[in-house]
Amino acid sequence: MFGYLLKRLIQMLLVLWVVSVVVFMMMSFTGDPVFMVVPIDATDAEIAQARRILGLDQSLIVQYWKFLTSLLQGDFGHSYVFRQPAMTLILERLPATVEMVLVAMVLAIVFAIPLGVYAGANPNGRLSRAIMSGSLLGISLPGFWVGMVLIYLFAVNWGIFPSSGRGDTAEVFGFRISLVTWDGWHHIVLPAVTLSLGTMAILLRMTRAGMMEVGRQDYMKFARAKGATRRDVLYKHGLKNALIPVVTIFGLQLGDLIAFATITETIFSWPGMGKLLIDSIYRADRPVIVVYLMLVAVIFVVINFLVDLVYTLIDPRITLK
Amino acid sequence: MKYLNRNTWRIGALGATFVVAAAGATLAQEKAVTIGLTSDPSHLYPLAGEELSSNIMYYHLYDALVSRSPELEFGPGLAESWENVDDVTWRFKLREGVTFHNGNAFTAADVVYTVEKARASIRPDLVANVASVKAVDDLTVEITTPKPYAVLPNDLAELLILDEEYTEQTGDEKMDLKPMGTGPYMLKEWIKEEKLVLTAFGDYWGGAPAIQTVTFRPITNPATRTAALLTGEVDVIQDLAVRDVDRVKSEDRFQVITRPSLLNVVLAMDTREKSPTIEGKNPMTDQRVREAIARAIDMDAINKIVMNGLATPSAQFVPEAHLGFVDGMDFREMYPVDIEKAKELLADAGYPDGFTMTLDATNNRYVNDAQIAQALASMLAKINVNLELNIMPKSNFWGYIRVPTENSSLIMSGWDVPSGDAGSMYGALFYSRDKKEGYGQVNRGSYSNAEMDALLDKADSTPDIAKRDEYLQEATKILMADIPMIPMHYEQDVYAARKGVTLVPRVDKFISAFEMDVD
Repeated sequence: MFGYLLKRLIQMLLVLWVVSVVVFMMMSFTGDPVFMVVPIDATDAEIAQARRILGLDQSLIVQYWKFLTSLLQGDFGHSYVFRQPAMTLILERLPATVEMVLVAMVLAIVFAIPLGVYAGANPNGRLSRAIMSGSLLGISLPGFWVGMVLIYLFAVNWGIFPSSGRGDTAEVFGFRISLVTWDGWHHIVLPAVTLSLGTMAILLRMTRAGMMEVGRQDYMKFARAKGATRRDVLYKHGLKNALIPVVTIFGLQLGDLIAFATITETIFSWPGMGKLLIDSIYRADRPVIVVYLMLVAVIFVVINFLVDLVYTLIDPRITLK
Repeated sequence: MKYLNRNTWRIGALGATFVVAAAGATLAQEKAVTIGLTSDPSHLYPLAGEELSSNIMYYHLYDALVSRSPELEFGPGLAESWENVDDVTWRFKLREGVTFHNGNAFTAADVVYTVEKARASIRPDLVANVASVKAVDDLTVEITTPKPYAVLPNDLAELLILDEEYTEQTGDEKMDLKPMGTGPYMLKEWIKEEKLVLTAFGDYWGGAPAIQTVTFRPITNPATRTAALLTGEVDVIQDLAVRDVDRVKSEDRFQVITRPSLLNVVLAMDTREKSPTIEGKNPMTDQRVREAIARAIDMDAINKIVMNGLATPSAQFVPEAHLGFVDGMDFREMYPVDIEKAKELLADAGYPDGFTMTLDATNNRYVNDAQIAQALASMLAKINVNLELNIMPKSNFWGYIRVPTENSSLIMSGWDVPSGDAGSMYGALFYSRDKKEGYGQVNRGSYSNAEMDALLDKADSTPDIAKRDEYLQEATKILMADIPMIPMHYEQDVYAARKGVTLVPRVDKFISAFEMDVD
């Protein structure tokens, strides 16, 4: 187990290093940040001064080296636009994204698993077919469209939920969390539902496929024959074995949602970090983009590690080596 | 809110209604307004950068020596009056009894400090025309310019005054989160990307503003912005989407407020012998070719089809009432759309078969910019001037079209002159390049005309503002005849608000809560 952890850690560091190099080099082609901060009629001297203040007068290699050495000292660099530490900017916005993603994931699981099991156990039922058609919609409708429709119906027409923003927050362990206030919940419903639909549909279809697959296995018939209830057979015997691919996809989806909740955040003016990424790309704000993508890489690596751990819990035959 | 006047409310909505009603009762005496902006400000420290949302906040929190009305008239601000001591020296009499939000008194030392601070910052352009500054006494400041410069006060309207003691203690980085000015509002709370709350500064020298609490909310998506207005979550929104105008107007509860902005979208033509994207000699060195291009562009059609009528074709390079504007002169009337005439002009110049070049334009800077570029291409095709479109995001654009222009022959960009004076714009855009420092720095067409240079020199060396206006008007006439650049249209600013909100749309696009009222 220890050897396994060490291996994962080295892997992660390698991934982070590659991400930093690639992003740093790629970003130098996507525009010059200095023109985003100086006025349009700035003179050469004014541009040069801004370049010097931002540290952009050095060659890219030197800039990268500086970035890397300060990184090792725990300094992730300063945003060119905001002139604030890049990490602070991202961490300020992280809780909002995480809470929206968590609510979306919980929604997805709560609906997807039972519906998937049902549709898998009764593949030809009318309700199953309705569920499957619904899931197709969930996969194929673009998130921004769903978001706009939800806003139109639930906010503008019926006035049940607010159209945008995060509502009241309260401080928990130094983080501002909206899930502890009623107003916060009121605000999170629409964005979380929007974000969850795609994932819900995918998990549902995976669960159904897994259930149909294990449904044909002898041990399922055997369990039923020995007198186990249908419910026990489905959930205890069947679902457990159908779950491995679902967990894999779940992990990937979770990472995806955290990293790219951007569209939902933009539509609902949700103050998360996805919007920060988009703004930073527009403004060629290299340090923020690099740190952001490195953070996303960490999240992916950690989630994949957790997914592997979950495998061992579901199926004792799998061990980590 | 909408559910207040509906019978079919839900249980959840009912709860919310009580909360809202209770809050409304306790705040009955206090006037508050919530404004939906297109983006969150990047800064609250005026020397850290400029962009519309930040600028809006700066003018709530800080003051300049000179104030600027919604119509761009310049008047007393932190300075009560000013006079010329000699051609290059200005003496500003500062307002007495002004305090910063922390109670510190505003003095001449703060002005001196701010000028020096700006010089070393990322915004030295704010004090580019200031040679020296000194405090004569606590309430008198003397500023000298490198040469006679009649419009110095206009420039100073953009220099927002910092509290020396506080700024030094706090440090540049923290000034963004803890601003300190003399402005009508103080920062109460700023949760990034979520909301920024200002409260009225009771001791404001100009009298406390009518609205006590202003909440700014960044709502990037235009459709969401409209929705937030319709649901009553915000009282005012900036940049109402063109397609939502009719929807908002259709309800009695709302008003749509428009006004032409200062932003002039222009087409700059390369006038060098050899242009990067044109084979052989550059046809646009010939005035007839430039006129032909101007005559082929139907601004009314672009306005109607691409801009949905929400643009104002520009008569000249600067708006009316600016120094340098010539009354009664209109580019559209001088060069009305005439394809036959345009073809003749091209043939006369020796290009009966037209020519091909590249148009550089943005796709995220001006309203419908990419569509305008496409419209230009199809219009110029009628006179056999074939445009290859090179469209990119603004983060690439400014570097790509940088002077010396190594890539471009034809560039679509935009200009505004918040100083109300054509001089700085003409100096930057039309002064011969590399002839004088600080001039011609964005002369992307490499236009060069000795007469123009001489007029701008004269304008920039007279302390008499009427004389300056005369010289600049002469310059305008030359430009209108010579056409190194085609003025296209001013974008229109569109706001929407609930009825009962009085919003004064400013020509500089700044939303100012201190000029606003609610019933």
